[in-house]
Amino acid sequence: MNIIVNGDKISIEKNINLENFLKLNNINNKNIVIEVNKIIITKSMWKEKKIKEGDVIEIITAVGGG
Amino acid sequence: MSLILNNKLYNSRLIIGSGKYKDFNETKNALKSSGAEMITVAIKRTNLGQDTNQESLLNFIDSKKYKILPNTAGCFTADDAIRVSLLGKELLGDNLVKLEVLADKDTLLPNEEETLVAAKELVKLGFSIMVYTTDNVALARELEEIGCIAVMPLASPIGTGKGIMNSKNLKKIIYNANVPIIVDAGIGTASDATIAMELGCDGVLLNSAIAMSDNPILMAEAMKYAVISGRKAYEAKRMEISDIAIPSSNKKNSIS
Repeated sequence: MNIIVNGDKISIEKNINLENFLKLNNINNKNIVIEVNKIIITKSMWKEKKIKEGDVIEIITAVGGG
Repeated sequence: MSLILNNKLYNSRLIIGSGKYKDFNETKNALKSSGAEMITVAIKRTNLGQDTNQESLLNFIDSKKYKILPNTAGCFTADDAIRVSLLGKELLGDNLVKLEVLADKDTLLPNEEETLVAAKELVKLGFSIMVYTTDNVALARELEEIGCIAVMPLASPIGTGKGIMNSKNLKKIIYNANVPIIVDAGIGTASDATIAMELGCDGVLLNSAIAMSDNPILMAEAMKYAVISGRKAYEAKRMEISDIAIPSSNKKNSIS
């Protein structure tokens, strides 16, 4: 199924939760916050949160800026 | 000599930004050299496909030692700024945010209307807001009245290093204020920071002036002393300006 992550369309297998998605895509799970369809999913909920077709996911961190 | 923000006492009146450094080590060293106790960070997308071991900026800033201030840099609407504020709060676990809503990519000047809308909403959501704004005196007062904990007018546009182009407005904003006034943006070199402090600003927030200098670590140190110096001069109250020359020594016992 297709989802959008940080603006890019990607294909993933069905029935994947957020935690596994991060692992499978080699995404560092420290110092990040995740939004699914503009709703923040707290870290404690990553395991429970199943990704659905068409979900728009934002993986956010702190970067340099003034 | 201290600055109080969100019920926390800061010995340094300098706040630095974390952008434009060569690498995170330089950011860390500049922060140390500046004596600042607060550093602002932008809240943005991660680089996907990055190595899981790739360093994060947050690994280079000791959050026990420094206050990390998330900002809404890059937002052009109140909605986006509120969204980024919520993400920053989730990431850093605090309600303190630097609100910045810009008018356009060309001038990077604050969008006054959207800034006000975002500030009102964020206050309702329980945020403590340090708000980046224009030198609009009436707006500065309104932002204070709606509950912003610090008002941060620009000295000149972001990243220009043109220094203080609006001292009369800044003075008026300072005169009216009951919350800290922090000059944010436009500082180019140490003397600009000193002038801001001599005007009576409670603090200075700068980024490019350090990061874009030839030697950021040295410039960070210069800024540290510039802010201290300007504040001391402000507290000491400068001498009156005279149109006529007045000798420093006593005339009375002159030999001629």
